[in-house]
Amino acid sequence: MVVSDAPAGANFRVIGVKTCKEVGKRLADMGFTEGAEGAVVRSGFLRDPLQVKIRGYDILIRRSEADDIEITPVGDWNTT
Amino acid sequence: MSDIKKSPLRVALAGNPNAGKTSLFNALTGAHHKVGNYPGVTVEKREGSRFLDGREYHFVDVPGIYSLTAYSIDEVVARDFILDEKPDLIVDVLDSTNLERNLFLCLQFQELGIPVVGALNMSDEAAAKGIKIDVEALSGVLGIPMVKTVGTKGSGIIALLDSIDAAVGDQQATYGNNSRPAHSIRYGQEIESRVEPLEAVIAADAPFAARFPARWLAVKLLEKDVNAYERLAFHKNAAGITAQAKESVAWIEKHYGKDAEIVISEQRYGYIRGAANETVTQVKKPTVSLTEAIDRVVMNRFLALLIFLLVLWGVFKLTFALGAYPQGWLEVFFGWLGGAVNSVVPEGFLRSLLVKGVIGGVGSVFSFVPLIIILFFLLSLLEDVGYMSRAAFATDKFLHAFGLHGQSVFPMILGFGCSVPAIMAARTLKSRRDRIVTILVIPFMSCGAKLPVYVLLAGAFFAKNAGNMVMLVYAIGAVISLIAALVLKKTVLRGDPTPFVMELPPYRAPTLGGLLWHVWEKTSQYIKKAGTVIMAAAILIWAITTFPLYELPQSQIASLTTSYKAKNANVDQKAIASYLETAKAGASLEHSVAGTIGKFIEPVFRPLGFDWKISVATVTGFAAKEVIVSTFGILYRVGTEENEQSTSLRDALRADSQFTPLVAFVLMLFVLVIPPCFAALSTIKAELGWGWLGFAFVFMLALGWCLGAAVYQIGLFTGGAVAAI
Repeated sequence: MVVSDAPAGANFRVIGVKTCKEVGKRLADMGFTEGAEGAVVRSGFLRDPLQVKIRGYDILIRRSEADDIEITPVGDWNTT
Repeated sequence: MSDIKKSPLRVALAGNPNAGKTSLFNALTGAHHKVGNYPGVTVEKREGSRFLDGREYHFVDVPGIYSLTAYSIDEVVARDFILDEKPDLIVDVLDSTNLERNLFLCLQFQELGIPVVGALNMSDEAAAKGIKIDVEALSGVLGIPMVKTVGTKGSGIIALLDSIDAAVGDQQATYGNNSRPAHSIRYGQEIESRVEPLEAVIAADAPFAARFPARWLAVKLLEKDVNAYERLAFHKNAAGITAQAKESVAWIEKHYGKDAEIVISEQRYGYIRGAANETVTQVKKPTVSLTEAIDRVVMNRFLALLIFLLVLWGVFKLTFALGAYPQGWLEVFFGWLGGAVNSVVPEGFLRSLLVKGVIGGVGSVFSFVPLIIILFFLLSLLEDVGYMSRAAFATDKFLHAFGLHGQSVFPMILGFGCSVPAIMAARTLKSRRDRIVTILVIPFMSCGAKLPVYVLLAGAFFAKNAGNMVMLVYAIGAVISLIAALVLKKTVLRGDPTPFVMELPPYRAPTLGGLLWHVWEKTSQYIKKAGTVIMAAAILIWAITTFPLYELPQSQIASLTTSYKAKNANVDQKAIASYLETAKAGASLEHSVAGTIGKFIEPVFRPLGFDWKISVATVTGFAAKEVIVSTFGILYRVGTEENEQSTSLRDALRADSQFTPLVAFVLMLFVLVIPPCFAALSTIKAELGWGWLGFAFVFMLALGWCLGAAVYQIGLFTGGAVAAI
């Protein structure tokens, strides 16, 4: 499961980034590393880009980047 | 200690973007600062000094970055500055409300073997959010002295300076005789078993290790940093170490089952989490913040774009409506100055040069200064408040489809006002390729100076639909800029798409001092340019429209007078004099270098339906696009001071059988697409260099010609369908 699968409001825990060149390292440097907790806050018009909370701050990423971040759900996504 | 004169210290002020670095820099250095560029790049470099207890602290502001991976120009500049210029100390400005990610960079600085002091900035905001930081414990755990500061209020500054002083004094004790920090991040047993041997072999070459900190380089090699391998080439055992590093990378990747550079980042965050667990506590449950409450509206899926357009409209309106007043005053002032010089300097070259060349040229450039001041005040305000990231959020999806970036939107829309500040505003783009594309397509957004040309031509030839015609040209310009961006991104600026990874900072109240600082920087840069490049260009345009001097022969003046009187009964002396003056100006322009060029290039413009008069007007248009209108005024012998509303000029244009509605439409398109005025061209040069300026010039000229020729030929073929409108 990846970040782009998570609905708005869903909490998650990062498993890791499927690294591909620059963007993987960049996401890791911004805090998307194994065990980090985060949440999808909202997405833009046409569901892109995404506002994601990670390590207590907010970041904007495109859906294509969110596809590279593997996560496990935290809490019940259906109630969010 | 204060009675001893201590050696000055060079301190690099570094940190994440949005950590309040600029306000802390201002609080540290006060008014003593200068702005320049880092060598070879347009990244701004601020320097300033502070004196305390007999010591000079010379601060150099390093661009705001998140990591030392060197993916963006800012990161390269920061890394090279610290590695190559070796400051005495680094002050890392940390956002106390967001400590984990901010410490990620801090730990990389520590590895560089230069003393680091952490400024826990925005500590008031952290306290308000219920984040409690045990400063002493954190300093102890990380081995980095930490001081609480609030840059916007100037608090903690003296404590920070004292801490810098102490850290430099402790350097010998902390670092011993080599630059190996006594205390630095541990990556865990497995990684350390690979870092330490590498470190040892690197340190074996003592002169090399004195230049590049061995531990930092060892870690960077494991992170597969290309630049680190390049620097390693100076080592006497470069080949052996490279092989050992590659072997270690392979071992780590096999052991962890993921890329080595990711493993290193994870270990760093793991280490930070450990340190933070012991020293940072959340004493109050976070509530729904004001930022989140605002963003529920501002970043609402459906409202975001609408609000963005409103903000844009507001910026646009304020800039050009408010700016019109001081702009008018400046024009009056330069007009008065011209008049004053006129009455003091005797008639001749010098007067003409001073009044028309220098004062006219520089005056028209200086009249933009109020616009630039207002515009950059508003843009800095939006940036400092934190709106820019929201604007990127609102527009990225749309712009990305054309190979642009969410952050391109402001510079591009500003292009409707004036290309000069718009091109400068593209600095907010972090990726060089995105910046180049944005700057290259900005001139297609019709600037304010092109409007008079459209109004004149549309009014003369499409009187019934003049407004729609002008709108159509604007729309065509916007479409061309998007298509051009797409084409450029697919051809000359091809490459991996730049990732859109952008911090969304909370809304913060801006400080007036900070805003004025930004405005002053931008404005002074523009004025400097106006004083040099643009002045030279203004004089050049004056020269080619003036020389060689040509006097209308007396016989011709007489015959013109007779024919004018014959055509117009009951004219007074004044009308005749003004008619003759226009005729003289027209004849002198026709015989000048510009006129010669116009006639010489006329055949080139034939396929577009342009005669030599239009050619001359496009040449003089490089001074400023609205000059095209006054050039027509002179060439069509209507008057020397014509404007776009002049009915006599419209009539004169219509009376010219060469000038069909089709030609008028083609000319509008041509003016839209061809290279912008000198002021804009010199701004492109300043931002991107001669190479890209040359490319932009040729690209726009070729596109303008092809588009014009295509439309004209198709128009002729379809029997002047446009004329029927």
